[in-house]
Amino acid sequence: MKLSLFKALGIIDCCIFKRVDVDQFEAVYAEHEWLDILLPGARDKQFFQTPTDSPFLDDFLMQAEEFWEYADYGKIESGIWNESIADNELKLNAFATMESGDFYLIINNVKQQFQERQQTLQSARELLLSNDKIVAQQEYVHQRLDEMLNQSSDLKSIQQPITEVIEKTEVGVAILTPNLKPISQNPALYSVFDSHLTPVESEPYRLILELFEKQYPEFERVISTGSRWSGELFWLQPPGNGKWIKLAIYPVKTDFQQITHWVFIVNDISQVKHLLQNNEKLTHYDALTDIPNRQYFWMQLEQSVSNAMPFYVLYLDIKNFKRINEIHGHSRGDQIIKELVERLTPHVSPGDMFARIGGGEFAIIRQKTVTEQQCVDLGNTLIDAATQPFYLPNGTHCEIGLNIGAASFPRDADDAETLMKFADLAVFNAKKASKSSVQFYSQALKDASQRIIELENALQTAITNHEFELFLQPMLDLTSGTILKAEALLRWNRLDGERIGPDEFIPIAEQTGLIVPIGKWVISRACEMISTLNHRGHSCKLSVNLSPRQISDRHLLEFIRGSIQNSHIQPDQLELELTEGVLVDNYDKVQYLLTEVRKLGVSVSIDDFGTGYSSLSYLKKLPIDHIKIDRSFVQDLVSDENDKAIILAIIAMAHSLKLNVIAEGVETELQRNFLQLNHCNLAQGFLFSRPLPFAQFCDYLNTTVSNQKRIGPSALDPE
Amino acid sequence: MIQKKICLLGASGVGKTSLIKQFVEGIFSEKYLTSIGVKIDKKQVECEAGSVQFMLWDIEGIDRYCGFQPKYLRGAGAIIIVVDQTRSQSLIEGIEIFKLARDMSDIPAILAINKSDLDSTWHWDEDELKELSAPFSYTFLTSAKTGANVELLFSTLAQHLLSEAGS
Repeated sequence: MKLSLFKALGIIDCCIFKRVDVDQFEAVYAEHEWLDILLPGARDKQFFQTPTDSPFLDDFLMQAEEFWEYADYGKIESGIWNESIADNELKLNAFATMESGDFYLIINNVKQQFQERQQTLQSARELLLSNDKIVAQQEYVHQRLDEMLNQSSDLKSIQQPITEVIEKTEVGVAILTPNLKPISQNPALYSVFDSHLTPVESEPYRLILELFEKQYPEFERVISTGSRWSGELFWLQPPGNGKWIKLAIYPVKTDFQQITHWVFIVNDISQVKHLLQNNEKLTHYDALTDIPNRQYFWMQLEQSVSNAMPFYVLYLDIKNFKRINEIHGHSRGDQIIKELVERLTPHVSPGDMFARIGGGEFAIIRQKTVTEQQCVDLGNTLIDAATQPFYLPNGTHCEIGLNIGAASFPRDADDAETLMKFADLAVFNAKKASKSSVQFYSQALKDASQRIIELENALQTAITNHEFELFLQPMLDLTSGTILKAEALLRWNRLDGERIGPDEFIPIAEQTGLIVPIGKWVISRACEMISTLNHRGHSCKLSVNLSPRQISDRHLLEFIRGSIQNSHIQPDQLELELTEGVLVDNYDKVQYLLTEVRKLGVSVSIDDFGTGYSSLSYLKKLPIDHIKIDRSFVQDLVSDENDKAIILAIIAMAHSLKLNVIAEGVETELQRNFLQLNHCNLAQGFLFSRPLPFAQFCDYLNTTVSNQKRIGPSALDPE
Repeated sequence: MIQKKICLLGASGVGKTSLIKQFVEGIFSEKYLTSIGVKIDKKQVECEAGSVQFMLWDIEGIDRYCGFQPKYLRGAGAIIIVVDQTRSQSLIEGIEIFKLARDMSDIPAILAINKSDLDSTWHWDEDELKELSAPFSYTFLTSAKTGANVELLFSTLAQHLLSEAGS
């Protein structure tokens, strides 16, 4: 009775069967005419048996048999299938379920849902395909141009191949000087703007720059820091309807991170936008994550500004998202984004807006935050949620980091654009830290950013201006008191006399990639020093530090080999120092590099041991010679029983793995005695010597008769 | 005669439905109509060694809107991974899908590099393609539009399955 009523009201459009025996089904409710197409005769007989004429249904019923046999509760779904018999088309979805020990098959006619789903997915997939194509084109052109522009600084010699590449491509390309003056603009770029350019805008690149500057608060930061950027611009092209443009900006840089060119790649995406506008949901919501998109976010931000009530903007940026996409592929990258949004959403208050405003960028408008601390708490909660591992379908997992920048309305700025500009600056600053962090915009931060930019520029010329110097800090054998080796430590003396500490400039060099040429200079200079020491009759090994970025440099091994050969030194006089973090983050690359350097005869030491992952497995698997106990344990070992226990454990473990142990930061006799008594092999620290310029180090080697002699007055100079 | 279930898998928009349409009905439509769910077509292929009745499972493109559904591979005799040579991303995704399918079963797999009538815009060179296609039993450069290599793909698969059944 009820079923007939439901049918009459059009509430249900399904047929229900009860499984009476293996492959035999009795009708419970089978009154729809469409059943005659799928299972001819079943409506009359109120019964059917397998196999049927539908291979899909037969396949599903095999799964259902297993389910009914082994499961105790629940249901399984077939998924939508298309049944095409004669001229009839059915869109169906089946369920196998159980109730009070009986088994049921429910077949739904989902024609309506199918049509709705197809309509939505048709637009969404057309968009996806267009977008994929545009990104692929832009990447392809960028890659080709980058290779060519990097080949030679003499533009004339590569003019011809460049012209060939950009003349043929369908995407608009402009190549500019570091000062944003045009070198080349291809016909496709002109055709994006066709005849609509006014005399003032006669050059497309000029219009692009103007639109970028007007529409994106990050313009200034992108240009001044030489960053990559991509996004969409809207060109209101009077009297037309406007044009949407996808712009990708790539700086072409030398090894010294000096910009030689800018490459702008442009696609007309007006048609894609038109498709979007046909679907209101896709206009305001991000198709992947279903949260508001950049456009909707800006509307809301403007609205919040006009409400004139205090609020915060949080700008979230996934650390190294580009690298995740490169390593795991875009589809995995998409999955990670989706899962990240699922993790973060519950922490965002219902009244606040959480939007995806770029590939790996999100923003939150926090309406009801009273204090900055509440914002920090939220930021830290989001970071905690984001940094949990993401498990991938292939059984592996990956971890991401999150940088968060925040700005306050109206304290920091009273318009949407400046507010976002400051939040962008804050997140840019947060990126400098190796760990995920929350940064608030402040005048001090602005000043610090300017200082960083100034140092970045100065670092580019520091090698050629001979501003770097290597200091050496000896490491002594605790039993014999002889100097066995020394750690090479980099110092930067600017031409104006300012001395910049490594704590300040190394992170900048690492961030910008300048660490690669600087690291090469260090290796090369250390090899020269070893050679000079050899000539003076001293046999002293030097160890140099390798940074994460250097490990990724595929020319590093070749460079080390060349430096050793050019300096005519023995490979075992050189040692490489890596931190634990570098090992874990780049395991495959590190394993290859260390195996190869070991073949050369170069030794390897693990720096700052005990502060990071302290994984035994890599100590066992990788070709390592020494581990260096971090200074933080040595510092308090006399008074802190825990530090004492850690040091003893490290020494015991290292010795059982046949590794030598070096203690860093030894400053007192008590520390030395403890280490000596407990069979630590080598020690380094102010007790013996602070880091010395090369000439003084040579004097030290010449004059030292006792390894306990302490040189230099300052105990504050960082090692 | 043997009957075999063949699953066509790949990213959306690579031309799985069009390949089947070309093979079964000999027609091609320029208009892209996204597939939803599963559709099964049948076709019998005659070879010297016998005949094979193909049950061709056209499975909705795997992308952010529709995940990989291992249940559809149950009982399959072979899989065809379809990629689009005008979209390099589709090859990366195709290889990912292949790996997921391999975790389920080690039935023969064919790589169909489709849309050969269009210019290839991906930047894989011959060696890279060779390496990527190494785990597949066969690789064909196909065009659902012109029909190039479509018959050949299925007749090769039929022969392979017949010889497998005979051995």
